Amino acid sequence: MSSIKMFEKPLGMRDTFPIPYEKTEEVRQTGRDFLRSRGFDFIQTPSLEYFDTVGKASAIYDASLFKLVDSQGNTLVLRPDMTTPIARVATSKLLKEKIPLRLAYFANVFRAQQTEGGRPAEFGQMGIEIIGDKSVYADAEVIVTAVHLIQAFGIDSFKITIGHAGVLNCILRDYTDSKDQEDTLRSLLVKRNYVGFEEAVESFDLPKTKSDALLQFISEATNFASITDIEKYVRKNNELDYMQQLLELIDTAGLSEYVALDFTLSSHMNYYTGMLFEVFADGSGFALGNGGRYDGLLKHFGSEVGATGFGLRVDRLLEVIPSKPSAAQTVAVLFEDEAFSKALQTANALREEGKRVTLQSQKGLVNVEAFTNHFDEVVTVSQEDLAK
Amino acid sequence: MSHLTIAMPKGRIFEEAYQMLIEAGFNLPEEVEMSRKLMIDIPEEDLRFILAKPMDVPVYVEHGVADIGIAGKDTLLELRRNVHELLDLKISQCYIASAGLPNTTMNEIAPRIATKYPNIAMNYYKELGEQVEIIELNGSIELAPMIGLADRIVDIVSTGRTLKENGLVEYEHITDVSSRLIANPVSYRMKSARIQELVSRLKKIVG
Repeated sequence: MSSIKMFEKPLGMRDTFPIPYEKTEEVRQTGRDFLRSRGFDFIQTPSLEYFDTVGKASAIYDASLFKLVDSQGNTLVLRPDMTTPIARVATSKLLKEKIPLRLAYFANVFRAQQTEGGRPAEFGQMGIEIIGDKSVYADAEVIVTAVHLIQAFGIDSFKITIGHAGVLNCILRDYTDSKDQEDTLRSLLVKRNYVGFEEAVESFDLPKTKSDALLQFISEATNFASITDIEKYVRKNNELDYMQQLLELIDTAGLSEYVALDFTLSSHMNYYTGMLFEVFADGSGFALGNGGRYDGLLKHFGSEVGATGFGLRVDRLLEVIPSKPSAAQTVAVLFEDEAFSKALQTANALREEGKRVTLQSQKGLVNVEAFTNHFDEVVTVSQEDLAK
Repeated sequence: MSHLTIAMPKGRIFEEAYQMLIEAGFNLPEEVEMSRKLMIDIPEEDLRFILAKPMDVPVYVEHGVADIGIAGKDTLLELRRNVHELLDLKISQCYIASAGLPNTTMNEIAPRIATKYPNIAMNYYKELGEQVEIIELNGSIELAPMIGLADRIVDIVSTGRTLKENGLVEYEHITDVSSRLIANPVSYRMKSARIQELVSRLKKIVG
């Protein structure tokens, strides 16, 4: 391990320079106005949580957690996501005041990098949670809100893929012979290893009808054109009805074109109990965000009321959102010593016009031209101006 | 149709995969001028090939600078990148095995394994309940047991000739390896129709 140089930052940590900073602020403003207009209330939770509560319950892999120790010897984590802290605060307090809750957040989360750089260890996340509503309308609201929010950011080319943990579980259970086989297949789907799935099915020595059904399922499950295509794999059940209803609601909202079905979607966390989805957009190689119903997490915190929501990654939003030139004009007001009060007046007058005005004494400058090059306009206030 | 970028390993795998694409009916020139070019554009099919080191293909695909790629199962197992594994192309088939000098056992206190696949080797011995020390090498792995650097090596075996010529024997067959078609998760969605079509055409060739 080489010694740390003065300019270095911990792996994956990034500075935010003025231009990306402004773009982030615009995202925050757009998102905030949009979500508030839909009745979501913004909240914030602490950066540090106990490992035993939020750390263990979080869907983020243990190896990605930043861990610290407090003065009493308790293990702490830097929050790796926002859903888990919000589940904590909702079950312990907020649900007693209002139910269902509609909460929103814009916050930084922390995920440690194990090897290379190329991706941030701290990044902004924006999202919503609807807590205390088990109906299909809450799930529909989450998806509709996600689509409209993405559109509000000016993104046109994007796709939301929806699956259902219950439907997938039902298929895996029906067509395998043991819990082990079921779990193996599920974990291969979490890794998106479709080749491995086929190999595993063939190695299980299942009755031909079962293995044929699984192989057929995997070859088309990511691309069902309509919900009716999956019916041949699943006996009629509540989960399937639920998905049908959800898709009807999305259709009623006129958003079907943004939605695709993917019944292989699966999470390594078993608290995703119902529908789950991922958001993709042109312009980033990584998913923009994800969401779903996580009743199981609420149960972990001792509540049975159910919850659903989504989160978008702000760093990836910034890659995808078309950039627009900054509107405000920048002006440098340069002044000589005696002209300070006149320069103040000039600067204030220009600010009234909506310009961004920098007040700078000429005495303080080494290279006037190098400095003024950064501005759209330069105004000099000299002693002669005072005489006029 | 959307533009598609394919990351390919240089050399033999490229040639075999390229032939498969021609067989699958893609309109590609019979001969490609390889020389030192790293990018080949095929305007007729709206395709671009980028040529990379085999180990780097999953990296290009994970970051989305290539939509799909062809990568050995060994590199996928070793790097564990976040990509979708779509199809086994069944080309450049071989396997990963452990090998060592004949009639030897592993050191009981701290068995040492030389390999260029530290993750695969570590996981394999972990599953066996054996704690080993991994020595990462970049090539000529067969040297390690011969000169006493390691008890075993974990490496790719295709014919077994290299092992034999260096007086080593195979101990355990760890996993089969072949070239796989992989996809970036976002491209898989956003260019779904195009990628699906390519997969189904290749699937027919693979059989």
